Amino acid sequence: MAAGQPRVFLVDDHELIRTGIRSELSSSLDIVGEADEVDAAIEMIVERTPDVVLLDVHMPGGGGLAVLNAVSHKCPDVRFLALSVSDSSEDVISLIRAGARGYVTKNISAPDLLDAIYRVAAGDAVFSPRLAGFVLDAFSLEGKNLEAGDVDPDLDLLTPRERQVLRLIARGYSYRDIGTELEISTKTVESHVSSVLRKLQLSNRHQLSHWASERHLN
Amino acid sequence: MSIESPPRAVIGTPHRPFRRGVDNAILGGVCGGLAIRLGVNERTIRIIFSLLALVSGVGLLLYMLLWLTLPRANETQSIAHRLLGRRRELHRALFGLILVVGFIIVLARLGIPSLGIYTWPFLLSLAALIGVWRGATPVEHKHLEELVRSAPLIRVPASPTKLLRVLLGTVLVLLGLRTLSRLHGVWGGTTPVLFGTIILIAGVLILLAPWWLATLSELSGERRARVRVEERANVAAHLHDSVLQTLTLIERAAGDENAVVRLARNQERELRQWLFDPDHHVADDEVGTYSSHLHAMESEIESDYGVKVELVVVGDCTADADVLALVAAGREAAINSARWSEAPLVSIYAEVEPTAVSLFVRDQGKGFDVEKIPHDRQGIALSIRQRMCQHGGSSALKSTPGAGTEVQLGLPRTT
Repeated sequence: MAAGQPRVFLVDDHELIRTGIRSELSSSLDIVGEADEVDAAIEMIVERTPDVVLLDVHMPGGGGLAVLNAVSHKCPDVRFLALSVSDSSEDVISLIRAGARGYVTKNISAPDLLDAIYRVAAGDAVFSPRLAGFVLDAFSLEGKNLEAGDVDPDLDLLTPRERQVLRLIARGYSYRDIGTELEISTKTVESHVSSVLRKLQLSNRHQLSHWASERHLN
Repeated sequence: MSIESPPRAVIGTPHRPFRRGVDNAILGGVCGGLAIRLGVNERTIRIIFSLLALVSGVGLLLYMLLWLTLPRANETQSIAHRLLGRRRELHRALFGLILVVGFIIVLARLGIPSLGIYTWPFLLSLAALIGVWRGATPVEHKHLEELVRSAPLIRVPASPTKLLRVLLGTVLVLLGLRTLSRLHGVWGGTTPVLFGTIILIAGVLILLAPWWLATLSELSGERRARVRVEERANVAAHLHDSVLQTLTLIERAAGDENAVVRLARNQERELRQWLFDPDHHVADDEVGTYSSHLHAMESEIESDYGVKVELVVVGDCTADADVLALVAAGREAAINSARWSEAPLVSIYAEVEPTAVSLFVRDQGKGFDVEKIPHDRQGIALSIRQRMCQHGGSSALKSTPGAGTEVQLGLPRTT
């Protein structure tokens, strides 16, 4: 194991996916273990405390969410990157809300996935264009359909800068491109994204559920 | 050796050999077998037997006799044959018979003469039934056990309340019968008739209600199961139409990498939409929304040009003429990227805000120098610009050689 390589744990119930990830990324990552079901995953993650857990969303027995909920309070230093075939908004939001640092779909290219893992290991957030779109969509309800009384008093709205960053992510810009476009450093872009993630996780946002239910009903 | 028998009677076609029925059996399969043998409707035979049994008990006796002496379909030995082959069983049967006959004689002597002509056939049938039980093959045993288990009153396991219910019901039925039978003639009085009938009905109800309810709930359970089966069939049909077909196509196109990728991608998108996002289909007769048109465009470009399109839509609105023009301009930009940029991915971002509708089409391909646009691409850039102008919108083109191209389109919203 080369120094500085993040220690990664794979959780996926599909052998094929795990094999694929391992063969493509094992040279650049230190893969410390893998599990194909929820209980084994929880036990092994707590035991080995990897830097990053690549977490499949859909698994029998509660899925990625169950793993996240069981591990995150025991090992606050373990970071999660959710990996899924589904783009469905409920999945995305519930995992992010539960503490995942990012969300990518399984058709991501190997270099992009590697990039995402390194970013999560460094404590940053990973927003795919689609996730950025979801967040923008969720927060765009503000001020439109809500009456004054509805608004959460400690509602932390997205700042205009954060919106700009999210829009550029949704347009397919990399963090570096966003920095160039907005004439800020990549580090600043990362901090904006992290702050959006925090707002998404911490705020007791009734818009999010409102948005989700509206989405679901339509 | 096995003897093939039709599972049901073929009307008008007698069938040999004479065997008890299996698939059309209710009790012992005697009527069913007879129906198959004679080529007559089973129900007719059953009614005849019931009538015979009611009239004199002969029907009952005949039935038991046939049950004992006829082999079951696909079996070679009759129950009687099997019983007689076993010495101990024979002794037991004889002993039982003597006991029954003795019991009847004792009853007659005590001056409790018979319930009339019914007694003999009934008791003999009971003895025959015991014989059937002892001599049946395991297969038939199973059938009989099932019969007993599903019988109205004897359902196992018995509980005290059930016992009480059966007792109460029986008492009421007997009481009702007694009240009715004591009347001399039909005109013995309206009140007792009414009273007797009510008691009788109440008894029957108490006896049979739980069975009836159980049958009802079984029916609704069946209905639920059927709905599940239908749903499953729907899913299966869909998978067959889409996924299996595509897999076949992929197998056939195995040598052509591009074709395989395109097929797989189309199928993936289609399945994904079916699973997670069933609302985005654009029906032909529908106006559609901004988002639905964009999704249609995404599929089209992916299948026509073999590139991946990542579409993100925030917000939505109905697609009026202006919005359709915006989508058309976006399509040209996207096709342009797919054709020329050599990038594997085209990102499309669409947003609907209260005051504006916007669309961004971006690739990270080879890009070009905007000042020196090749002639054949200028036309496209121009047509996008013209189209947007006609509808009061704006367009901008950004491209850097080696870093990609982005087309930005915007449309003010009036409503």
